[in-house]
Amino acid sequence: MFMGIAVLGLAVSWDYPIGTAVRMGTGYVPRLFLWILFGLGLVVMVLGLQGSGEEGADDPPLQWRPLVLIPASQLLFALTIDRLGIVIAGVLMILVGGIANRESRWHEVVISAVALVFFVWVIFVWALGLVIPVWPGG
Amino acid sequence: MEIFNHLAIGFSVALTPANLGFALLGCLVGSLVGVLPGIGPVPTVAILLPLTFYLDPVSGLIMLAGIFYGAQYGGSTTSILVNMPGETSAVVTCIDGHQMARQGRAGPALAVAALGSLFAGTVSTAIIAAAAPPLAKVGLSFGAPEYFSLLVLGLIAAVVLAHGSVIKAVAMIILGLVLGMVGTDGNTGGTRFTFGTTMLIDGIGFVPLAIGVFGIGEVIANLLQPERGRIVITQNLRDLWPSREDFRRAWPAVLRGTALGSLLGILPGGGATLSSFAAYALEKKSAKDPSRFGKGAIEGVAAPESANNAGAQTSFIPMLTLGIPGNAVMALMVGALTIHGIQPGPQVMNERPTLFWGLIASMWIGNLMLVIINLPMIGLWVQLLRVPYRLLYLGILMFCAIGVYTTNNNPNEVLMTAVFGVMGYVFIRLRCEPAPMLLGFVLGPLMEENLRRAMRISSGDPMIFVERPISLGLLIAAVALLLLVALPAIRSKREEAFQEEAL
Repeated sequence: MFMGIAVLGLAVSWDYPIGTAVRMGTGYVPRLFLWILFGLGLVVMVLGLQGSGEEGADDPPLQWRPLVLIPASQLLFALTIDRLGIVIAGVLMILVGGIANRESRWHEVVISAVALVFFVWVIFVWALGLVIPVWPGG
Repeated sequence: MEIFNHLAIGFSVALTPANLGFALLGCLVGSLVGVLPGIGPVPTVAILLPLTFYLDPVSGLIMLAGIFYGAQYGGSTTSILVNMPGETSAVVTCIDGHQMARQGRAGPALAVAALGSLFAGTVSTAIIAAAAPPLAKVGLSFGAPEYFSLLVLGLIAAVVLAHGSVIKAVAMIILGLVLGMVGTDGNTGGTRFTFGTTMLIDGIGFVPLAIGVFGIGEVIANLLQPERGRIVITQNLRDLWPSREDFRRAWPAVLRGTALGSLLGILPGGGATLSSFAAYALEKKSAKDPSRFGKGAIEGVAAPESANNAGAQTSFIPMLTLGIPGNAVMALMVGALTIHGIQPGPQVMNERPTLFWGLIASMWIGNLMLVIINLPMIGLWVQLLRVPYRLLYLGILMFCAIGVYTTNNNPNEVLMTAVFGVMGYVFIRLRCEPAPMLLGFVLGPLMEENLRRAMRISSGDPMIFVERPISLGLLIAAVALLLLVALPAIRSKREEAFQEEAL
């Protein structure tokens, strides 16, 4: 049952590029590959539906915190780095990343954030001399 | 002897203070991630990839290579002392290595693992030096149709030797090929799959994809897994030297492990993990008294540890000579070379002898360094085992973000990393190996280019692939491999081979 749902999700995600490929493809190479992919997706789905669903049995239960907040921490970094600089963007990212884990302890996360930002500044800005915005407007 | 001249060039490059430093740095980082469970060489190489863009290509490659084989050394430490593999390629080492540690013989187990690895590293470095030039000559004689067929064979072999469902692996490769086509088409100038955004016109970056899938994806997976307690066995670490009896037993096992690992490493899809499993199975089968295994047999440590190091190193051969990566780390290396403007392939050896031979010479030096790093300094690594994952992953997150950002100073790429991170977790959840996808992604543009060129040569006749003898041979080999996997007898064997891993 679990496999069925999982594979259904796979098939949907694979259907998506196929639909657009037929319209957008320049040349037949992508189209060729996408049809093969479509066929394989179908086979996987059929096999998955036939299977007993044992494969997913030992998976840990899904939790929203890591699943949403880890990517969110990267998104936040992407949105803030150019305007606010590495210090604020970095600390914000680590804080959000820290909330993602239920086992995190506040003081550890804060100390890590400061230490990591300093570390990154030393390596990338000071030692390698890269042009990274450090402070807002900088 | 030509080979000595080549090696002389290599050592003259590898022995410069800067390159020695980068080899040492790579080995240290490799040992570190090898020791720490929860982070392996693939995400590490992916994360550090952007850093190498600011280095000389030789130094960058030397460092990345050091991480890869360094992780093979470090992984054994965790397996032996904690009974938890620091690295997938050290999974089997847990079985007998940890038993030895429990019997108070952790020292000899660690020493045999390190010395066996050094031996394997020396032999496989020699194999690379000897085998690469003739293979590259063969590669140079290939035309577009041969190259296309070779790529097909390489990708199929990668599937056969990957774990899990074959169909899923093939699907993942094709998904990778398709992802590689996003962006502007080099031949027609048309854009593909950009969904009308400017963000995707240049295609999907290699760095965001690799870091997203291997870095962020694994962080999510690890956080969902409750952290297990670790019991580190630390007593008796002073007494490192194995007894004469240990040497007598371990020596032939090291030889067999090295031979098997070197062989399996060359095959596409092979490399360290497969080699160590195969070597352990071989030892158990060929032993006079198989019941000793699982109870602290020294051969059970010596063979897989030699094999994974040999396999890690010989897997450089197809990448360096033909430009075809056999595993995910090699795919990352190809990415690194390409970003430096070097097209990996048979011409690298002639056009950039310092890069080619320098890298090979550095591998041997690195192996020597690793023994020193791992044996006398073992106490330091044991201390590191106490760093909990809840601190480690924050550092990983930071390096993922900053690494992607500094590649092009483009925040959009960090955005893509987040998306690929979610995708990476979905793959892990669905038991789809992401490594074949990365291979497909790297090889996709190359494959399309060669297919188009072949079609131009033959004016659109697909028969060209079967009419050219080398191309035909390669295609037959590919089909044969696929059939082999499809046959029930082999399939059950293959499942058996990966079964122990599941435990």
